[in-house]
Amino acid sequence: MAAVDLTRGAIAAISEGRVKDGVKPVVQVWEVKLVNTQQSTTERYRMLLSDGAHMQQAMLATQMNGLVKLGTLQKHSIVRLDEFICNVIQNRRIIIIINLEVLVSNSNAIGEPKLYDNGSASQNRVPSPAQSTSADQPVIAAENPQNYGGIHSSTPNIVQNVTRGPSLSPATEAVTTNSSFAGYYGNGVMSSRNTNSVPSEHPKSEQGVGRISESHPNSGYQNQRLSSPASVGAFRPPASSYGHPVQPAYQQPPPMYTNRGPIAKNEAPARIIPIAALNPYQGRWTIKARVTTKGELRRYSNPRGEGKVFSFDLLDSDGGEIRVTCFNMVADQFYDQIEVGKVYLISKGSLKPARKSFNHLNNEYEIFLESQSVIQPCSEEDNTIPRQQFNFRPVNEVEGLENNSMVDVIGIVVSINPSASITRKNGTETNKQTLQLKDMSGRSVEVTFWGNFCSTEGQQLQRMCDSGVYPVLAIKAGRVSDFSGKSIGTIGSSQLFINPDFPEAHRLKDWYNREGKNMSALSISRDTTTMSRNDVVRKTLSQIKDEGLGRSEKPDWITVKATITFVKVDNFCYTACPLMVGDRPCNKKVNNNGDGTWHCDRCDQSFPECDYRYLLQFQIQDHTGMTWVTAFQEGGEEILGVTAKELYLLKYQEQDDLKFAEIIRRVLFHQHLFKLKVKEETFSDEQRVKSTIVKAEKVNPSSESRYLLGLIEKLLTEDPIVVSGMQTFASTSGMSTVAYGMVESNNSVHSVTNNFGINNITLSTTVQEVQIARVNPLEVDSQTVVPTFVLNANNLGIGPVNVRDKVLPHQHMEVVVHQEDTTGNMVGSEILSATGLLPEACSLIVVCEMLVLIAFIPTVMLGSTSVSAN
Amino acid sequence: MDTSSPAVFVNAEILKMYLGRRVRAVIQVMRNDAGVIVGQSTDGNQITVKGAQAFPPAHFVEVIGIADGSQSIRAEICTDFGESFDMTAYNGLCQLANGKFKNLFL
Repeated sequence: MAAVDLTRGAIAAISEGRVKDGVKPVVQVWEVKLVNTQQSTTERYRMLLSDGAHMQQAMLATQMNGLVKLGTLQKHSIVRLDEFICNVIQNRRIIIIINLEVLVSNSNAIGEPKLYDNGSASQNRVPSPAQSTSADQPVIAAENPQNYGGIHSSTPNIVQNVTRGPSLSPATEAVTTNSSFAGYYGNGVMSSRNTNSVPSEHPKSEQGVGRISESHPNSGYQNQRLSSPASVGAFRPPASSYGHPVQPAYQQPPPMYTNRGPIAKNEAPARIIPIAALNPYQGRWTIKARVTTKGELRRYSNPRGEGKVFSFDLLDSDGGEIRVTCFNMVADQFYDQIEVGKVYLISKGSLKPARKSFNHLNNEYEIFLESQSVIQPCSEEDNTIPRQQFNFRPVNEVEGLENNSMVDVIGIVVSINPSASITRKNGTETNKQTLQLKDMSGRSVEVTFWGNFCSTEGQQLQRMCDSGVYPVLAIKAGRVSDFSGKSIGTIGSSQLFINPDFPEAHRLKDWYNREGKNMSALSISRDTTTMSRNDVVRKTLSQIKDEGLGRSEKPDWITVKATITFVKVDNFCYTACPLMVGDRPCNKKVNNNGDGTWHCDRCDQSFPECDYRYLLQFQIQDHTGMTWVTAFQEGGEEILGVTAKELYLLKYQEQDDLKFAEIIRRVLFHQHLFKLKVKEETFSDEQRVKSTIVKAEKVNPSSESRYLLGLIEKLLTEDPIVVSGMQTFASTSGMSTVAYGMVESNNSVHSVTNNFGINNITLSTTVQEVQIARVNPLEVDSQTVVPTFVLNANNLGIGPVNVRDKVLPHQHMEVVVHQEDTTGNMVGSEILSATGLLPEACSLIVVCEMLVLIAFIPTVMLGSTSVSAN
Repeated sequence: MDTSSPAVFVNAEILKMYLGRRVRAVIQVMRNDAGVIVGQSTDGNQITVKGAQAFPPAHFVEVIGIADGSQSIRAEICTDFGESFDMTAYNGLCQLANGKFKNLFL
């Protein structure tokens, strides 16, 4: 139907950028051709539009593709261009149709249009003379942003200064060609934050603009006035798009780009975005930030191989923080360049979700740098970027924090303990130092320094406190633990600042000087006095069972003094893999290949010689009980004195059973100090407490004596000492107090000598001797033997047979005595019942042991032959 | 084993309490005179041992014998303990053995 007229001169007008706002020219589609983009599968239609007189190339926005497919839009259709832009790409003018309406689908060709040749279709540079759209002159039609090259004031800057923002030093690295970018309409130079206004309009157009087939590099779109927001529909700005990078003219064929936008092929002036705006879908980005911490270049090895890695944290002027990680070659590349405290411009890294277990920064993402990433140092100082960002919480709030959460705190160090070496849960030794930190909330918390912090900041703080100064300590990334109330500990990436120059620090110092000093602060950490003695927890073997050691989540580490009573000789060792994995040998059990070689499953290798490692099981006993323990290589060697390999060869190759037995026998009945790791484990549905020997030491008589002396001392001071001239062991621990004189009640405890003629008294007393004596055979069944107990230097009576078995010399027992009338001599009393060993006996036993030990000393010193154990 | 006359663990202080009784003490040899050893007891005071052979100075010697003076012992048995000995531990033993736990020993 020729009823619809084509807008005359439309093509020329469009091409020249003269179409006014709101004008929607009607043109005829002279041709429609499908173009396949190289790297994406989207189809794009290229068209020739005609106004009857002239024709111009055009590209159809993909959302309009449907029209073509359906056939609504076809060759010779008449359409009304609702939204379009005209751009120059590679010296050719292209009309990009964002929105159109098909007025007539089927039509005849109208006129004989010629290809419109706008001679001045120049590249992006300075606006062609004819259209001197100067920077400040917004495009004629808001709807028709025609900027062919109309680059504005900013452009020249940009163009000439290809990729340089004035304040930025050039990023000169290779162009990445693979990402899609949000283009950016920087209005002039990209400074960090002023792009905010721009994106709102741009993204849409940028989308549209982007829909150019890749054969056309984009001219810079300095489109400030791009298409009406109304046509947003299809355009959704990328999460934080900040416009397109400016495209200075490039002669090279553009890299392919996806639907999103033009691809920067070079370092267009980087526009800096806040770290908080970074996300994986962001196209090109650059951040300007200061390095707040730099990690060590760490080597690792995992099943996939070895590598090295290092990380550093960045902070920008908006307070955003993010961690940057580099692996292997990239790590090498950048490790030396990065310095803490300096400001850098970083771009072309990839963004991935942050690994929260390592990364405690407040950002969901982490940057991973690749070889094409760019790091530019900023030579001038940027004071808008803080040196370090803290989020200090007052101490009283720390109490409410979850275990293992990270926190920053600042406070006054009110006390500090010297650092001590302790054994960690996994057996390694490290340094630990604790201090109390107090702040204005009136509460104090225990802060623990681990490892190197002890020797550096710990020492410094100690010196300061010793000299009476109470310094301010700020901690970044301390971990809250619920060990003894709530306390804070350092982790690898913690940072400590002593007397820092922060306003909070000054405030704190003032507060402290004024009132804090005198205020007694409540600690949210309980005092841990138990941990003072080098963490050596001495237990007896029965305590393992009684106290349920090893039942909690973590294993218990105890020290026991015990004697080896039995060694299991079958399977005393296993064949182990000798290969190194990282810096430790693999040690996994290897399988015999049958041909003399051994194969390790973990390392997946075979080798001719394997290691032999101990896996000894033996039984140990002390005065309270016995248990089975397992010793591995180190413990085994310590105890047996020979390596597993030697022993193995001895037994299996040389078949020297005699010598083998000799070695084993040699260790029996020797007393050792064992450091045990006690843990409950599940073996096919049943829970068993397993003890493993971590360390085995010979008992040093001297130190052991002192230990025992201390123990005795402790036991003595616990007992209220009841002395009546007689050495009665009347202890109150768990028992009623001693009373003297005549007491009628049955359950009172008396000293032995003070009972006269009282029946049925309960005594707490000590057996000195057990004599088996026959009593008058007429009275008693001839087969019974009745034991006599000599108690406390006085004979006390005859006990019933059933008591005999329970009573041993030096056993402390409670006896119910039925006493004949005597004059103080208890002969003739009858022990009615006895109850067993009471704790007080331990002190006796300990004293006995000590005596024995003292006896040992000379023999040990003289190096005499082995003394039989107690 | 003859337990009729157990030797009491003594140092110089406690020695006084057991005059005429069998005692045992460890001393560090300070000097040897003819048949007499002068040594330092575990509590730091001096003890003289009569009737003993000579021992190298600075060695520790255990002396078992009869206490015949507030500071001297008439030796019956002498044993050389060598050069390293924990005096403090022994002293602690003496005190305990004559204090709270006397009945264990005598």
